[in-house]
Amino acid sequence: MLSVSYNVSLQKESTMKKTTHSCFLLIILLIRMVPSLTSTVNYTDPTLEPVVTENSVIRQKIIDSQFKCYERMNRAPPYRKKGLFCNRTWDGWLCWDDTPAGRITAQNCPDYFPDFDPTERASKYCDETGNWFRHPESNRTWSNYTLCNSFTSEKLKMAFILYYMAIVGHALSITSLLISLAIFFYFKSLSCQRITLHKNLFFSYVLNSMFTIAHLIAVVPNPGLVKRDPVSCKVLQFFHQYMLGCNYFWMLCEGIYLHTLIVVAVFAEEQRLHWYYLLGWGFPLVPASIHAVARAKYFNDNCWMSVDTHLLYIVHGPVMAALLVNFFFLLNIVRVLVTKLRDTHRAESNMYMKAVRATLILVPLLGIQFVIIPWRPENRLAGEIYDYIMHILMHYQGLLVATIFCFFNGEVQGALKRQWTQYKTQWGQRRREHCSTRSTSYTATSITEVPVYLYHHDSNNEQLNGKYIDDSELVALKSGETSA
Amino acid sequence: VATACHEADYGQLMRDYCLSQFQASMEALGPRLWCDWEETLGTYGELTNCTALLAERLACFWPNRLVDEFFVAVHRRYFGGCPLSGRALRDPPAAVLCPFIALPVVGALLAAALVVWRSKRGEGIV
Repeated sequence: MLSVSYNVSLQKESTMKKTTHSCFLLIILLIRMVPSLTSTVNYTDPTLEPVVTENSVIRQKIIDSQFKCYERMNRAPPYRKKGLFCNRTWDGWLCWDDTPAGRITAQNCPDYFPDFDPTERASKYCDETGNWFRHPESNRTWSNYTLCNSFTSEKLKMAFILYYMAIVGHALSITSLLISLAIFFYFKSLSCQRITLHKNLFFSYVLNSMFTIAHLIAVVPNPGLVKRDPVSCKVLQFFHQYMLGCNYFWMLCEGIYLHTLIVVAVFAEEQRLHWYYLLGWGFPLVPASIHAVARAKYFNDNCWMSVDTHLLYIVHGPVMAALLVNFFFLLNIVRVLVTKLRDTHRAESNMYMKAVRATLILVPLLGIQFVIIPWRPENRLAGEIYDYIMHILMHYQGLLVATIFCFFNGEVQGALKRQWTQYKTQWGQRRREHCSTRSTSYTATSITEVPVYLYHHDSNNEQLNGKYIDDSELVALKSGETSA
Repeated sequence: VATACHEADYGQLMRDYCLSQFQASMEALGPRLWCDWEETLGTYGELTNCTALLAERLACFWPNRLVDEFFVAVHRRYFGGCPLSGRALRDPPAAVLCPFIALPVVGALLAAALVVWRSKRGEGIV
C-alpha cells in the first residue's frame, strides 16, 4: 500500500504535483498501511466471497466502482466482433469488458485495501467456450488478484525507510539551518543585505521543515485523525502549502536582489528590502489561500491529503513560475558578468561571480525535482533508486541550502576561523596569566598580532562591502589592547 | 458449497424484494435527485447489500450473471439519463480549474516584476 499508491501516483502523467508531494503520497501510503485497515477478503482462498467490508471508506469506494461499472456496462455498445466471447461483468472489485474467448485480460489492481498495489496487474481468463474462468476448487467465477499484494512486504519496508529518511532529512535541515542562523546573527561583521535575505530564506526553510515533520508525525501514521478530519489538519495543510511557497519565493528574492545589484544597479549597495519581504512572506499567502478555498469547495477530501487533484497546481504553478523566472535572472546575471564586466570591472566581477555561484548551484538543484519527476523508471531496481534520489532532493533541501549559503561561504569560514583563533589566544593568555610573569604576556602580545594581520590580508579577497576590513582592524586593536 | 444456486428463484427474489425496496426509496427521493450521487449512495448500497445477502441465503456466488443483468436494468431505468461522471471526488471542470491555476501564476509573475521595478527605482540611493 505504501509504495503502491506511491508508485502509481508517480507513474501517472501529471506528476509535478506528485513530485513535490511525494511525502504526501507516503502519507497516504502509510495511512492505508496501518493495521486497522486490513482487507477482509482472503483472495488466496477463492471459495470465500469478496464481501464488502465494514469499513465505510473502502466500502464506499467499492460501491462507487460498482456504480461506474454498471454505468459502463449499460452504455457501452454491444460486442460486435465475431466468435465466442465472455460477457462484460462486475466481479465484486473490478469491471471487466467483453473479452474474446481464449484470452487473458488484465488491468491495474484496485486500491481499496492497504496491501493492494495499484501498479500491479489483476487478470481474468476467458476460456475457449466463452465463459469466465472458474476456480477448480470452488467452481466460482474467479479473477486473479494474487499479484496485487504479493510484493507488498518489500514495498512496505521501503516505504518505511523513505518515511524515516524524510523525517531525518528535515531534522538535519532544521539543525543546520539553525546553526547557520546563529552564525549569521552572532557575527555582525557578516551583516549585509544579502545576508539578511539569507536569514529570511533560512527561516522559511526552518518553518517548512517544522510543518512537514509535524505532518509526517501527527497526521500520516494516524488514520483515526484523518477519518475524523478535524479542521486543524486542514489548517496544517494550509500552512504547509504557504511555507512551500515561501521557500521558493525567497529563492526568487535572492535572485532578484542579485540581478538588481549586478545587472541593473551595477554594484550600488543599498536597496530597500520592503518589497522583498512582501514578495517572500506576503505573496505566498495568495496561492495558499486560493488553494484552500478551491479545495474546500471542489475537492474537500479528508485533511486535504489527496494528491490526485489538479488543484495542487494552484500552489505548484506559481512555484514553478518563480523557479523559471529565477533561473532566467541568474542566467542573465552570468551573461552580464561574463561579457560586459569582464573588461571593465574585473575585480568586482570575480567577486560577484563568487556570490552568484552559490545561487546558481542552488536554483537548478531545487528545481530539478519538478523536471525529472515525470520520468520514473519502470524497472523495479531503477525505480527504487529513483525514489531514494527524489527523497534526498526533496527532504534534504534545507541542509543543502545551509551548506551552500553558509558553511561553504568564504566569509563565514573566515569569520569562524578568526573567532576560533581569538578564543585560542585568549585561552592561551589566560593560562599564561594564571601561572606566570609579565614577560610571558609580552610575548603573547606579539603572537596575537600576527594572525590578525593575516586575516586582514585574506579579507581583501572576499568582501562585498567595506565592513569586513573595518572589523578586522578593530579586532587587531582589541587584541593589541588585551594583550598589552 | 454443496447445494447449487437456484437461479430462477434468485432472480425472482431480487426483483420482488430488493428491487421493490429500492423503487420505493427512489420514488420517495424524486426523479430530480436520481443523478445526485450523495443522495442515492445509501439506497444503492442497500440494494447491493440486499442482493449479496440473498445470494448468501440461496447459496449463490455473488456477484453473478443475474446480478449483472439486474443492475444493468436498474441503471437503464434510473441512471440512464445521468452524466457519466465519476462519483468519487472530482476536480472541477476545466473552465473553473484553469482560472484558479492561472490566477496565482500570473500573480507570481506580476509580483516578481513589481519587485524588480521597485528595486530598480530605489537603487538610486547609495
